[in-house]
Amino acid sequence: MILLGFDTATNATSVALRLGDGSVTEARDDPAAGAHPGHATRLLAMADGLLKNAGAGTGDVDRIAVGVGPGTFTGLRVGVATARGLAQSSGAELVAVSSLRALAGPALEDRGEGAVLAVIDARRSEVFAAAYATGGGELAAGRALGPGAIASLIEEAGIASARALGDGAVRYRTELEAAGLDVAPDDSPLHLLRAAAICARAASSEIPVSSEPVLPDYLRRPDAELALEGAGVNGGRR
Amino acid sequence: MILALETSCDDTCAAVLDEDGRALSNVISSQHVHDRFGGVVPEIASRHHLELVNTVVDESLREAGATLDDIDLIAATQGPGLVGALLVGLSTGKALAAGRRLPFAPVDHLQGHVAANFLSQAGPNGDAPPFEPPFVCLIASGGHTLLALVSAHDGFEVLGRTLDDAAGEAFDKGARMLGLGYPGGPALSRLAEDGDPTAHSFPGSPGEIRRGAPRKAFAEGLDFSFAGLKTALLYATRELSSDELSERAADLAASYQAAIVESLVSRSLRALERTGLDRLAVGGGVAANDELRRRLGEIGATVHVPDRLLCTDNAAMIASAARFSPRLEYPDYLSLDAYATGETAR
Ligand SMILES: [Zn+2]
Repeated sequence: MILLGFDTATNATSVALRLGDGSVTEARDDPAAGAHPGHATRLLAMADGLLKNAGAGTGDVDRIAVGVGPGTFTGLRVGVATARGLAQSSGAELVAVSSLRALAGPALEDRGEGAVLAVIDARRSEVFAAAYATGGGELAAGRALGPGAIASLIEEAGIASARALGDGAVRYRTELEAAGLDVAPDDSPLHLLRAAAICARAASSEIPVSSEPVLPDYLRRPDAELALEGAGVNGGRR
Repeated sequence: MILALETSCDDTCAAVLDEDGRALSNVISSQHVHDRFGGVVPEIASRHHLELVNTVVDESLREAGATLDDIDLIAATQGPGLVGALLVGLSTGKALAAGRRLPFAPVDHLQGHVAANFLSQAGPNGDAPPFEPPFVCLIASGGHTLLALVSAHDGFEVLGRTLDDAAGEAFDKGARMLGLGYPGGPALSRLAEDGDPTAHSFPGSPGEIRRGAPRKAFAEGLDFSFAGLKTALLYATRELSSDELSERAADLAASYQAAIVESLVSRSLRALERTGLDRLAVGGGVAANDELRRRLGEIGATVHVPDRLLCTDNAAMIASAARFSPRLEYPDYLSLDAYATGETAR
């Protein structure tokens, strides 16, 4: 089975191709600090590059796996729209993978014990976070929260300590370490959300092929809806 | 056949066009979720586009009696518009093309409005022929207002554009000031039917012209401006009690509408004079306005207004533009990005 996986939940664009023999090639675009994410311009071109190197075409892909977030709204939509369009066009199967679970994946595999907290920078002084046990089970479901509220998430997950990974963990290292979490060094590759991990999840039998339309897991409602409700609650005052 | 997508604002659209420029389907899924916000919310529009787009594509194929196997070109709107919304249609279109290594055509939304005139339209007496260049094209909607010189099928020259609000936006904002809700443009026009268009002296209105007011410099050119008109209506309504407002609402609406229409008609006439042409095409949602249609019927030029569904945002017009624009072969289109503003006039 040829599997094409990608993730656009963070500023990075990550694409991986997994061939029938289990070998995986990967391409990654990390925009310079402050630069515009290249999801729309890079994603399909990177996929094309990997396929060409493997001597394959988009029509040869059996299964498309896409990271559905949480993460940047526009990035998620570019990724999911691309995945859905490719699947609609070529007839490939479509699989949705949690970007938080994919972020935790490599660390769960390489560490025999201990929980992993996946933390994606959600901007506006918040993170998207979820906790996973060794073996991959979910201890605390993904949510948007302030870094100061991480301690309560750890408590809810029932874990004494955990390794925190992701661009959110790097950004809020001080707050997370204060909560008793072990944050890997800034340059650790474990902080990267990699499409190879999306492929690994999608190749496993745990993940079903979607019968429902695949959509982003935004975890946040649009501001306008919240503002409208807030206005209603406050009797129209804002 | 061409399959085209359009998602630049709040309508999710897909259409299939045959080789002769006949729309075999033209599916428009309008999002009615924005009314309670008093305007289109980009994030909500983008979410809905993603939920709807693949289904709308399927519907457009089914209605056309076609499958993707029949399609030999995919097109999508690249801009201008809401970037987050555009990216859903553009990413989907690029992926649909890439999955089959089909060529792809990125289309400028305004070129799409122009190309709506190149569609042959089915009618009770057979197909109406396309409206061929050269002509002047007035595009007026909630998002854009411009005059274009269309000399060929594959481009246009901008003759004039709005310096502030779009005409449709002016209608909606006026409607809100008159308490007609959002989107209130059509309600304002209905109210205007019972009013006197000369009752109030708004900038550019028949009332003002009758009183011999000095004309602003821009009023001699081909650009539009509706901000002053909007402010004038605001002042006029502010001075009125709510009883007085409801009493005079019809006159205010009629005068306000007349000023917008006068602005559109006078500049269209001027554009025809300057280009020496006697053919005018009209597109955009404001083309549905009865008063505008009535006034354009009196200008003594050949006026072409496509069917209502081809005037408002739709994908058949995008497919029509794609028919005449350069197509990119796989993989040359994979890196295309959406753009928010600007006209790619050629
Ligand atoms: Zn438009």
